[in-house]
Amino acid sequence: MAAPVSAVNPSRLAALTRLRCAVFQTSYNPTGVRTGAKYLRARLRGPSMAEYYPPVLTVAKFNRMSHGEFKIDDRHEAQRLADIEEAKRRGKGAPKKAKSAADSRRAGRRR
Amino acid sequence: MPPNFSARVLRDIKARNGVKANEVARRAYLYVARNQTLPPEVRYQAQLQLNTFGKYTRPTTPKNRCTETGRGRGIISEFGLCRFQFRTKALAGQLAGVRKASW
Repeated sequence: MAAPVSAVNPSRLAALTRLRCAVFQTSYNPTGVRTGAKYLRARLRGPSMAEYYPPVLTVAKFNRMSHGEFKIDDRHEAQRLADIEEAKRRGKGAPKKAKSAADSRRAGRRR
Repeated sequence: MPPNFSARVLRDIKARNGVKANEVARRAYLYVARNQTLPPEVRYQAQLQLNTFGKYTRPTTPKNRCTETGRGRGIISEFGLCRFQFRTKALAGQLAGVRKASW
């Protein structure tokens, strides 16, 4: 059953909307102008995004957390450092960092 | 995440932490930039500020990767696993409420 809409004055309808906004604490915005409120209203997505991967406890992390009270031998890290020392001893270590752009290996490269 | 995670997973973690750290500031600039009741110069400046944020602060940069293997494709998002890890774990009974269908 259709109600007779045209019987009500539009200005009265607008006044009703304004009053409704005042009662329900919403902002009166009849022209639908964009106020950017939706960016403030939306929940922050960062916290849930940051905990997507489950936390992993590694030996290094444990040693850092225990502040030297306990210490677990990190065999993989020790092996890595030993390998680096061995490579350096044989002259196969990583090259020195370039101090300037001119020292860089990329300097002589053709582009 | 396995202990020997790939560089892609590390990059994704970096992006996620960046999003979390910069989210409030980004939202504030977004609010100003998208607010039509503010003067256009102010909105323009806010938009310029938004553009100065790095790519690891945008919420669209992080990609859901497999939490077991780091694979970037074929992720079943309800479990955060790639299709093969999903199958393996489901068959092993490690995913609650998941069972193999047969008809």
